Amino acid sequence: MRSIGKQPAGAESEPYEPGSEADFERLYRDTYRRILGTLITLVRDRATAEDCTQETFERAYRSWASWRPDAPVEAWLHRIAINVAISNGRRQRLRQAGELIRRLGRPDPGPDPALVAERSDLFNAIKKLPTRQAAALVLRHFHGYSNREIATALGIPEQTVASRLSAARKHLQAVLGR
Amino acid sequence: MSDLERELEQELHRVLDPIAGLPIPPRRTIRDRRVTRALLGGVGAALSFKLLTGVAVAAAAVTLAGAATTGSLDPNVWGQQVKTRVAECKDKLADGRHGIGDCVSSFASQHGSSVASAARQHGNGNQNGHGNGNANGHDKDKNHQTPKGQTGSVPTLEPEPVDQVGAHQPVNIKPGR
Repeated sequence: MRSIGKQPAGAESEPYEPGSEADFERLYRDTYRRILGTLITLVRDRATAEDCTQETFERAYRSWASWRPDAPVEAWLHRIAINVAISNGRRQRLRQAGELIRRLGRPDPGPDPALVAERSDLFNAIKKLPTRQAAALVLRHFHGYSNREIATALGIPEQTVASRLSAARKHLQAVLGR
Repeated sequence: MSDLERELEQELHRVLDPIAGLPIPPRRTIRDRRVTRALLGGVGAALSFKLLTGVAVAAAAVTLAGAATTGSLDPNVWGQQVKTRVAECKDKLADGRHGIGDCVSSFASQHGSSVASAARQHGNGNQNGHGNGNANGHDKDKNHQTPKGQTGSVPTLEPEPVDQVGAHQPVNIKPGR
């Protein structure tokens, strides 16, 4: 299992210096794909995930000078990314409400069939979980973080992480009929 | 690890592992975003664009109308031509006529017609043919019939005098003095 407390892969030897433009660019290259992976699970589609990833790095850049090297940099980025995904979810719900009003009386076009085809029932069920529960699952089962590391990343007690993971699994079992 | 957890890991890796082979796009900067928003930003930008387009079209129409009338793009030339015409009309008063209204009006009529025509060509003209090219408010048709039993009078530039206290008769300036 990979530790969230370490530097991202390929950057173990060189620590990041807060406020350094070059180091932030390096951080972007080192972590972009992992942050994108997390966000693909949390938001509606790939394009939105890419947009949210960019927004994550924009927000991180604004606070880059005040980031403390004693905190795991990827945990910090994930925390920002999850907040971006939650904000995006709120905006998405507002848009959906507007679209629902506009297409009253017309049938729902449904999700893009091309996207649905590449996903399984399980992946679709993960995407329907509350964002914080889905984030805990992705950090635990894709990135391989421990509950303690997830707690650090999300800024919540370890016990809360455990309960979120438990709730997410129960929800998935119920949806998938297992 | 339960079956569900194992399945979760496999599924997440199946969907997300291909991302590792993707190229990393350039980082979007805050400045990029501001520029994009400024250029494409919403209703405000659309209204501003329409407003600026309207002003530009109107300015072009006025310029072309003036140029068509005077042969010059310089608005100062247009004013100078009107001044010259007024001076000429005043000079003609020495021939025994009073009032330069008709004289100036004929020039204004020509000018107004040109302006209206140019404006119509540039899309802001009066499409129903009622454009009177009224550049200075005197482009009415002067060839209207005088009512029967009345004699035409030479128009004057002076307004009818008004007796403020009602103690004096109005004084009219008669032609041929």
